Amino acid sequence: MSKILEFNSKLLDYMSLKFSIFSRYPYRLPYKYYVKNSLDMKTYKMSKDRFPEFIELIKTKGQLYGPVKGNGKYSFEEIEKFEDLDFDYQRTVIGPKKFLTPPRYPTLRYDKSGQADVFVSDEPQIVIGVHPCDIHGIKILDRLFLGNIKDPYYEKRRNNLIIIGHSCLPDDNCICKSTGTDMVEDGFDLFFTELAGHYLVWVGSDKGLSIAIEAEDFLTEEISEEEIQEYVRWQQKRSEMFKSEIPSFKYLADIIHLNYDSKVWDQFGEKCLSCGTCSLVCPTCNCFNVEDRISMNTEDGFRERILDSCTLPCYSMVAGGHDFRPDRTSRLKLYYTHKLKEYIGRWGQPSCVGCGRCVTYCPVNINVITVSEALYEEVCENQEVCE
Amino acid sequence: MWQREKKPVVGVFGFSGCAGDQLAILHMEDELVDFFTSADIKFFHMAQSHQEVEHVDIALVEGSINTDKQLAELKEIREKADIVVALGTCATHGGIQYLGDNEKEFKERMLLVYGKDGKIPEFSELVGNPIPAKPIHKFIEVDFSIPGCPVAKENFIPIYTKLISGLKPSKYPYPVCVECKFQGNDCFLLHGEYCLGPVTAGGCDACCPTFGVPCVGCFGAYEGANFESMIEKLIEIGLTEEDAKRKLMMFGGEATELALKGEK
Repeated sequence: MSKILEFNSKLLDYMSLKFSIFSRYPYRLPYKYYVKNSLDMKTYKMSKDRFPEFIELIKTKGQLYGPVKGNGKYSFEEIEKFEDLDFDYQRTVIGPKKFLTPPRYPTLRYDKSGQADVFVSDEPQIVIGVHPCDIHGIKILDRLFLGNIKDPYYEKRRNNLIIIGHSCLPDDNCICKSTGTDMVEDGFDLFFTELAGHYLVWVGSDKGLSIAIEAEDFLTEEISEEEIQEYVRWQQKRSEMFKSEIPSFKYLADIIHLNYDSKVWDQFGEKCLSCGTCSLVCPTCNCFNVEDRISMNTEDGFRERILDSCTLPCYSMVAGGHDFRPDRTSRLKLYYTHKLKEYIGRWGQPSCVGCGRCVTYCPVNINVITVSEALYEEVCENQEVCE
Repeated sequence: MWQREKKPVVGVFGFSGCAGDQLAILHMEDELVDFFTSADIKFFHMAQSHQEVEHVDIALVEGSINTDKQLAELKEIREKADIVVALGTCATHGGIQYLGDNEKEFKERMLLVYGKDGKIPEFSELVGNPIPAKPIHKFIEVDFSIPGCPVAKENFIPIYTKLISGLKPSKYPYPVCVECKFQGNDCFLLHGEYCLGPVTAGGCDACCPTFGVPCVGCFGAYEGANFESMIEKLIEIGLTEEDAKRKLMMFGGEATELALKGEK
């Protein structure tokens, strides 16, 4: 106990005294857990060569998923052996939202005698190698699905999911520094920060703590001052690696508001393929369609949720056949105003976590960066408010 | 009420095409017994001996219309059927045989293929006089369209079972990209390879891109397709405009042709 507090205070000293350079992004280590709940939450160190053993241990807890390389892209797949895992990645095509709101899943089965909800089994799913942006994405999904009205299907999956985060280094498409989601302080069970010879392991929940206690052979609480310095240097290096930035991201909501009728939207609308990729790969997009699927015998069937996209033609169609957004421009405008403006009004932050998936996967280069840049330019031209 | 009181009478009719959609129905081996018991299949050339029918509740029509005799038969089907469903890309878009329509006059093409007089007298009585291939909605009112080359079981069954249960299937157009992203695939277009996913109707579970083969558009045009931007993208990855249009036209049929002419 005293050791932890000692470590914690050391860390705070480093932060406040030596690295005030990070004032915009204050060191957001999970130190507040020590303060709030100092007996439970800890930070450990794990030597890298013990990591495969740790994976073996964690596999006994449930079905393990992790980043796997295949066909030139990464995806979260079932892990059979440690060698399958590849943590040297920037982003998967579909984030860990596929464990919480899968692209299609049955919610209800029915036959002529009655109906029954379909839930996933109680078997826990463990996903390892989740980056901070994706953890922020899950936090946003939690807010939506576990708010006042809880979605039972999501809740069940969420309770069964163990999230083990992993540190990352950004590429040119990462904009999480602009969105303020490049660090994460909660929302995970364990978080591994990869340093030269070891991992620093943050515990983020009771579930994570119980795993850590079980894995005490691999973990040590003795973290030297040098290692803390190494960590701080690593963070500094990482912070400098970000190339793409959205200038004054926090004003973006206002900029969108000012530009609501701008012709910029039409230009993007002309280019948009209306293929749905941007929202399907987005870690916070969760709209779904509901379809009944009756079996060929017409005696039974099931109700299915299918991941939807607001850029598709009939997304805003209502009963009677009226479509509120028949053109691509208005659908695209909906996507961006919802993500970058309306969400801020409701929750105080955008629902963009800067993972760079839309930047990477849109075939015609319509993404958070290009849209915001075009909108800024528009404002600068018209109103000279830019410095 | 989610089942008709009486078993609906269903007919499966085929016109010009490879008959792949009829075959696709027969290939649904797990559901085949249910297919023949849940509805009263009165007319199904590929599966049954020829039968005359007075009336069908649901007509599944496959293939494009290529002769005047087919046209007359199609109109007869419309008169005898309550609901007409266009099955497969040939019926919904015109299919591959729609190709070439705008390059030369039809008579000229007939001359080119069949010789001087451009007539095929020994067949004309059997099949009728040829006319340019057209999707069936050009001639009759079509209630539902299920594209596919051939139709995918996963796409066909939910619509069909709703129809035989007396329910109305919902229309929700989406491109191949949607299911491609469901599968977690990377995008061909980003790596300089052509792929027609963004302009092609979905429903195939993106089986080609999932196995590393770009989409050639066999399900026909997607209703929300942006052909202009697609052609620009294809030119950007190294195709000429002509090539891009030819690729789009392969299965694109009438909808694509009109869009490329700017008439949509």
